[in-house]
Amino acid sequence: MSELVAKGVVKTYGHKNVLQDVDLTLESGKIYGLIGRNGAGKTTLLSILTSQNPASAGSVVFDGQPVWENPEVLRHLCFSRELNQMTGNNANAMKVKEYLRIAATFFPYWDSEMEEQLVREFDLDVKKKISKLSKGMLSMVTIIVAFCSKAEFTFLDEPVAGLDVVARERFYELLVEEYTETGRTFVVSTHIIEEAAEVLEEVIILDQGKILLKENTQDLLERSVHISGHEDDVNKAAAGLHICREEHMGRSKGVTVLLEKGQKVPESADITIQRMNLQKIFVALCGEEHGHDR
Amino acid sequence: MNEILTQQKSIYIQIREMIENDILRDVLLEEERVPSTNELAKLYAINPATAAKGVNLLVDEEILYKRRGIGMFVAKGAKRRIMEQRKAHFYDDYVKKLLAEAGSLGITKKELITMIEQSRED
Repeated sequence: MSELVAKGVVKTYGHKNVLQDVDLTLESGKIYGLIGRNGAGKTTLLSILTSQNPASAGSVVFDGQPVWENPEVLRHLCFSRELNQMTGNNANAMKVKEYLRIAATFFPYWDSEMEEQLVREFDLDVKKKISKLSKGMLSMVTIIVAFCSKAEFTFLDEPVAGLDVVARERFYELLVEEYTETGRTFVVSTHIIEEAAEVLEEVIILDQGKILLKENTQDLLERSVHISGHEDDVNKAAAGLHICREEHMGRSKGVTVLLEKGQKVPESADITIQRMNLQKIFVALCGEEHGHDR
Repeated sequence: MNEILTQQKSIYIQIREMIENDILRDVLLEEERVPSTNELAKLYAINPATAAKGVNLLVDEEILYKRRGIGMFVAKGAKRRIMEQRKAHFYDDYVKKLLAEAGSLGITKKELITMIEQSRED
């Protein structure tokens, strides 16, 4: 079983600490979600994990071997970056066909049959220049590169950002299909959290350059509850529990609580206890009321 | 197997209940093969580990059983067992909630019983 391990990874740009002492272990055979606010350091982290960007300090190791500029390791890793019309110095003038041909030479396990299939399914005009593609088509190209690379560890940065809702659902179907057939490891960053939640085995929350949480998604959902009702009743129910966020309105109060093992909110007719979705949990953990100023 | 997943409950619980409902409604018959966890994962676009968690609950309760190398099947007597289980949970799942809501509205037990009796006459 392969493992990608980051230890003490720091990245500074000038005086700005983008990543601060990140420890992260990714096991093979899982779908991970990487979520975080804009500027949290997601893309920087993904690029350091895949040797596209050097860390200022710390190490990234794949099966005991350093990742940095190590072709033996890099053949197993694919980071399909978010494309834009201006990518690179002259990539914008490149045709989709050429871009995919270059990708095919770069990834030793490239699957051209799958490439053809996906190009057809997405109805992508491969003769178009990258600079002429719509946002949705740019996303499709990055998705094709990620899937067809057949890399053991594949990283997708905002793969669905430009896609419409039908294509986004289709992407997650394809992801599950590819995963069940190959057992490849995928790390997907996204801002559209709810659509991804059920697909992600584990969720990694990056906040201001630090890993705030890495946990099985279903476990996290099960231990996160929202309690609301009369302030006094809510305070009584939530006493001793880990509260991540509070809202007030007159006498009414709502709290988001992360339960630890063995903890339970006592049921009562006076309070409403509700399940949270991943997006709400994320906002409770990383939202502005949590002492962040941006 | 065509219910829609919601956010009200854990996904694995919903997978379990969906299969149970299909057995109760004769959509899935006893001794018939049920979709594999990978098939369920693809159908709902959920993580296979989550689908497996739901299916395994049913295996533990002997509603489903594994035939090595072939797949997962509905056990004999599964339908009856599901009904018994749901009956056993009926008080916790429905009656308690009914009483709690009635309590907060000041409806007495007597009034509740009258309502139930009247509804039977409908």
